Amino acid sequence: MKKESAFKKFLYSQKVAPYVFIAPFVITFLVFFAYSIVNMIIMSFQNVAGANTSFIGVENYRILKNAVFIKSLKNSIFYTIVSCALMIPLPMILAALLNSKNMRAKATFRSILFVPALTSVVVAGVVFRLMFGELEGSFMNQVVGAFGVGPLVWLRRPGTVWLALFFICLWRWTGVNMMYYLSGLQQIPEDLYECASIDGANSWQKMLYITIPLLKPTTIYVLTISIFGGMSMFSESFMLFNGNNSPNNVGTTLVGMLYRMGFTQNQLGIASAIGVVFLAIVLVVNLIQLRVNGTLGGKEQ
Amino acid sequence: MVRKNRIYSVCLFIFFTIVAIITLLPLALLAVSSLRPGSDLMRYGLNFSIDWASANLNEYKMLFSGQNAYFTWYKNSLIITVIQVALALFLSACVGYGFAMYEFKGKNVAFVCVLLVMMVPTEVILLPLYRLITKMKLINSMWGIMLPYLVIPMLIFFFRQYLSGISKEFLDAARVDGCTEYGIFFKIMVPLMKPSFAAMGIYQGMQSWNNFLWPMIVINKIDKITLPVGLQSLLSPYGNNYDILIAGSCFAIIPILILFVCFQRYFIEGMTAGGVKG
Amino acid sequence: MKKAFKNAAAAALVLSLAFCGAVAVNAEDASTQGTNTFVDGGTEMEFWTFQELHVGFWTEMADIWNEQNPDKPINLTVTTGESHSLHSKLLVACQNGEGAPDMADIEIGYYGSFLKDGYLLPLNEVVEPYKDDVVMSRIEMYGDKEGNVYGIDFHLGASVCYYNMDIMNEAGVDPAEIVTWDDYVEAGKKVLEATGKPMCAVETADLFLPQLMLLEKGGQYVDEDGNPNIATQDHADVINYIREMINLGICEIAPGGGFHTEEWYGHLNAGDVASVAMPLWYMGRFTDYCPDLAGKMAIYEIPVWNEGDTREVLQGGTGSSVIKGTENEELAKEFLAFAKLSAEGNAYEWNILGFDPIRTELWDDPEITENPDNKFLAYFQTNPFDILKKNGTDLTAPDISGTYSATYSVLVSTTYSNAFEFSPDQDAMELLQNEQDTIIY
Repeated sequence: MKKESAFKKFLYSQKVAPYVFIAPFVITFLVFFAYSIVNMIIMSFQNVAGANTSFIGVENYRILKNAVFIKSLKNSIFYTIVSCALMIPLPMILAALLNSKNMRAKATFRSILFVPALTSVVVAGVVFRLMFGELEGSFMNQVVGAFGVGPLVWLRRPGTVWLALFFICLWRWTGVNMMYYLSGLQQIPEDLYECASIDGANSWQKMLYITIPLLKPTTIYVLTISIFGGMSMFSESFMLFNGNNSPNNVGTTLVGMLYRMGFTQNQLGIASAIGVVFLAIVLVVNLIQLRVNGTLGGKEQ
Repeated sequence: MVRKNRIYSVCLFIFFTIVAIITLLPLALLAVSSLRPGSDLMRYGLNFSIDWASANLNEYKMLFSGQNAYFTWYKNSLIITVIQVALALFLSACVGYGFAMYEFKGKNVAFVCVLLVMMVPTEVILLPLYRLITKMKLINSMWGIMLPYLVIPMLIFFFRQYLSGISKEFLDAARVDGCTEYGIFFKIMVPLMKPSFAAMGIYQGMQSWNNFLWPMIVINKIDKITLPVGLQSLLSPYGNNYDILIAGSCFAIIPILILFVCFQRYFIEGMTAGGVKG
Repeated sequence: MKKAFKNAAAAALVLSLAFCGAVAVNAEDASTQGTNTFVDGGTEMEFWTFQELHVGFWTEMADIWNEQNPDKPINLTVTTGESHSLHSKLLVACQNGEGAPDMADIEIGYYGSFLKDGYLLPLNEVVEPYKDDVVMSRIEMYGDKEGNVYGIDFHLGASVCYYNMDIMNEAGVDPAEIVTWDDYVEAGKKVLEATGKPMCAVETADLFLPQLMLLEKGGQYVDEDGNPNIATQDHADVINYIREMINLGICEIAPGGGFHTEEWYGHLNAGDVASVAMPLWYMGRFTDYCPDLAGKMAIYEIPVWNEGDTREVLQGGTGSSVIKGTENEELAKEFLAFAKLSAEGNAYEWNILGFDPIRTELWDDPEITENPDNKFLAYFQTNPFDILKKNGTDLTAPDISGTYSATYSVLVSTTYSNAFEFSPDQDAMELLQNEQDTIIY
């Protein structure tokens, strides 16, 4: 009885309480995150075959020289760069326009633009896959048909595949990123603009010298999530091509390659090596970010 | 000047109307197509041409007839979403509270870990995590889907941010009144955190409801899969079941759409919470 | 006011969710499909398949088995799932030695991965009694060099050529007179001239036409040791031949990239292509997706390289196997052989699924071959059993051993799209060598 109360006292002490509070995270972190990463690094040096698992050195990292892997890496990087290039300026401009004093029905438009974010990637994939169908009657072919082009085989040519992927990306995330920028804009004090007006600045100058610099924290955040979203893109391509095989690997990404090796071809060692490479890229990007911005995106000022 | 403003305003309005139409177009296509038979889709493609005279709700009837697993998936998704949201909110709030209100040894290290998890896309550890879940015999169980994702860094971050506005003297006052550490959390903090629970609940609800890749990997029994995975399984190399797919896709958006319409403000708060505050 | 609206909306939401819940509970019965009629004391067994249509087959077979073997009944639970992920998960379950079912259907493209690391049990002793009644090359393909067999297919999978007779008649071509590929090309020219339509199509996301031509030449995608072997002269010849057909305009790239896409089905159904060479199990795709072609299609033998060659090869398929680690090894094996190789099983496969029977006696059984109620026989102008009988049982099957899975994955994702679509002018041999170098194994 006495022992229990001592334990209770210990548990309830102000020193121990914080550890109890953060325990769920620590447990999840150690069990699922840290364990998985360590396990992955070990597996990347192994030939994983059930009971006959053996260490084979850096053999698995030969994948780095494989043409398909390089292509998937290039695809991921290209997708990331272009999606960042699209998903930062466009939502920023939309937010600035929507935030303008002359705009009516702001809330309605804001909501409408947000709706695609509510849909699952599966639903989005189904719609876009069909919209970009090869049939003459599919929606996109009707659209280009109106300009006397087509019908096109959208999902089997690199150029149009990228178009479709960026369409999905824009469609799903413009509203969300715009929301980030809208909330960023709320933080900019109104009097700054008034001062600028008095100084005779036009709208363009205000945008350039006040809005964009003051939105920097938001931009850093949006950039961060866009980079990681872009590098880990898989589901969109998976849905668009109804599986992980796209014609000539036009839509194969880093995660797609990881999935293919690990879950279809029974090459767990190679898949782990891809995971390690992926992790390294993510960490390097983080370091660069830290350097450039001096702070982690999303961390308090 | 006023006139110029008015023209500007009309232009803006027109511009946003066009943007809104483009945004809603894919969903409208889906809705229109759900009134046509699936075989039409296969033959003519997805477009707006519809013969209103022959439009019907047959696909929805098929959906509701119960001759398919659609509502089983729906139910699975609902259950998982509700449980995951409840647990994730509670656990992440605890952790966020711990970080915000206490000074303790190892706090910085622990917080860097939070950031680390936040920065590494979950796809990186897909494979080892899957093997781990298999070893834990959680394959084909909804706990397998939820367990690794019950403590969400993004939520921790938000709650920590939210709570850091509350002064610590307040806590000391409660202690003087005889409240235990946990009593403070449950009796004082949780009521204070209600609005943030709403925002984060919606954020997490959206994530859980729409989650695809991880549930697809963890569950392989057709009666245990979640809605997005189920919908995807209707597309197969051996013929696609468009009748249920299209109507089912439409119906899958509805609950979240209703939620959105009702609780817009929280949605937006939830989504932008990760962004930079001031 | 606003608050009232919110409350109303929340109430509506709760109601709608409750409604969904109610419907969901009612619908639960529908999802427990996939078991046979359980009997007391039956051995519980689990089966995974990626094809919903197979569920009915397995449960029906389990019922028949229980009738015939009351001393060792089976309570079978069949689960289906999406093909890609189901195979992936089966693989990982095998690897971990945990969570795998007793038996599973494994698609031919994935089979090699399972064979490679020995996750399957040999079926030799249970296949033995049926040996003289069935086409053994179809079974031996799911085997190893030591003579063990691990899987049994649903069908023979004999390749035939499906002709659209409206187009043939319009062009004045009689498919019965086409023997060699050169004849086929000549006929294709006539078709193109008379109708403007292509004679055939080639897939870029699958491999049926090139594989057919390669098998006819005696070529395989893997060598004797199971290593990738796609850079061969035979393969290059096949690619050049198809390229030539494309240049002449008598062969097109299949819309959608494969013969299992909705674009292709629509195209086929619209009568925009004159013929397609696919295995007999493809009949089901016609009956399901091409209602407009009913009564217009005829099945003939495939063209060959030289007159006198056997005009039939085996393609595609699904091997049903017993997974290592099952607690009911013997029973699972016996049941599997019974379901797939018995007359009952084969009759079901033919009548319901449209799969050409692996059991030869059925080819001569008028109840099967002349069945007036059979939807497949009714759909086509000619009788497929004539082809099976004519070509006998000594048939070439694809070698799916060793690295076939990895090779297959490269072939269908890059090789054929490069060869026919993206780099049609690159030297075939050089292209194949490049492709071979990208195979990860």
